[in-house]
Amino acid sequence: MPNAPVLHSEWLKIRTLRSLPAALVALFVVTTAFSALAGADAGDGPDSDPLFTALSGVLPGQIAAVSFGALAMAAEYHGGALRLSLAAVPQRGRWFAAKLTAVGVPVLLTGLVTAAAALAAARADGLTGSEQARAIAGCGLYLMLMALFAAGLTAVFRSGAATLSVLIPFILVVSFVVGDSVGTVADFLPDKAGQTALHRTYDGSLGPWSGLAVTALWTAAALLAGAWSVRRRDT
Amino acid sequence: MTSIEVQALTKEYGTRRAVDDLTFTVLPGRVTGFLGPNGAGKSTTLRLVLGLDRPTSGTATVGGRPYASLKDPLRTVGALLDAGAAHGSRTGRDHLRVLAASNRIPASRADEVLARTGLTSVARRRVRTYSLGMRQRLGIAAALLGDPEVVLLDEPSNGLDPEGIVWIRELLRRLAGEGRTVLVSSHLMNETATFADHLVVLGRGRLLADTPIRDFISARVEPRVRVRTSDAEALESLFGRHGLDADRHEDGHWTVRHARVDAVGRLASQAGVPLLELAAEEGTLEQAYLDLTSEATEFTAQPQEV
Repeated sequence: MPNAPVLHSEWLKIRTLRSLPAALVALFVVTTAFSALAGADAGDGPDSDPLFTALSGVLPGQIAAVSFGALAMAAEYHGGALRLSLAAVPQRGRWFAAKLTAVGVPVLLTGLVTAAAALAAARADGLTGSEQARAIAGCGLYLMLMALFAAGLTAVFRSGAATLSVLIPFILVVSFVVGDSVGTVADFLPDKAGQTALHRTYDGSLGPWSGLAVTALWTAAALLAGAWSVRRRDT
Repeated sequence: MTSIEVQALTKEYGTRRAVDDLTFTVLPGRVTGFLGPNGAGKSTTLRLVLGLDRPTSGTATVGGRPYASLKDPLRTVGALLDAGAAHGSRTGRDHLRVLAASNRIPASRADEVLARTGLTSVARRRVRTYSLGMRQRLGIAAALLGDPEVVLLDEPSNGLDPEGIVWIRELLRRLAGEGRTVLVSSHLMNETATFADHLVVLGRGRLLADTPIRDFISARVEPRVRVRTSDAEALESLFGRHGLDADRHEDGHWTVRHARVDAVGRLASQAGVPLLELAAEEGTLEQAYLDLTSEATEFTAQPQEV
């Protein structure tokens, strides 16, 4: 739906704010570094999942992806920036779609590269090529969905600070507190569900693709609410 | 020829009417001053024209079309709403390039409008390092980016230094001289009087006046003449004989109400009264405006108002 000039403009917005490319670099560096540490440290216990160990850097790294999505959208909610954007592109749906494309595609690409680098850095043994390919694709999609989830919430809250102060504690709490419980409702939380794509084996009710689909549903809900907010509200 | 047409426009926020059944047209080739106290509905009206807010009823169109239906709208309408709209971490030039890209405007236009607004030397600095006046100029640069036929500026002289105020006055005159439609909101009367040809005056969301500025002033402010003489008694008796309503001030000059310099000068000369000073006191826009709004305040205070 977005046309080329609007997309170009939204991409320029991302490129010309130093903090946004920096967040993508952080995503790559943090994920790869933590995965390398985890790989060096990994035990060979029966419970350990070599794939998830190699990609465990995604857990801290996703905060950069979420920040990227929230900051990219939040830049529109400062000092009348959205008014200027919508005066330039009055078709609000088209504008919102272009914004989401400019947020989602760079995170997807960075996520794919990051996952491949993390697997290499963790030197995970015994993974088949197809497992690795699935994990790379899944990781890229997961990070993109999380960034878009944050962007959608930011459009609803009209504030990046509000979004991050909800999402980051949520991600940390879910991952590190209820993270190990399997087979509960926690499996269906937006981040936990998609993270099944980072595992080699999964014994919950969700597999890698169905887990990503659940995350995609959360993201879609946030984006629909964000689109409604952008289209209906006075600016 | 691209005019702005506002037709029976009403905007309610909850139960408050920010804009109340407003109808006026802004024509090309002149600067229209959009006046009213803070909260009179000027900014709301501009947002409604730009399709940023939804009217409760009525329409606002540009060249006969709703703003949202314009293709590449920045090429038709340029607007300054908030000087704070540019992101602090972006450079001024990048801010304009982003806007230009969205409306298929060549990136070279960014450098042109930066030059036109005197920002070339700071173009590659981050906006957060700009002074308020520089941000205001950047907002004006953004409004001029698409070489639009219609220019809407909300309080453009905010934060400008005296040099900047002279600059914006000349810019507005030039834009109107090029045949563009220029609407400039302000709550500063004397400032507006220096550039506007025509006035649209709002009070509490309603249209109070839509007239040429000269008519607006002359209809509301009585002409007065300032006179000084070395022979106070002779002048006083002259005023008495001709029934002129004059006040004597402490420093020795008189103010003659409802009079013109030609008449007072001729009478004094015929009577042989020596004059040291004879000058017309022009009514100011501020006086005319205060006269108008005091009526409007009385009017709105009527409880049985329908």
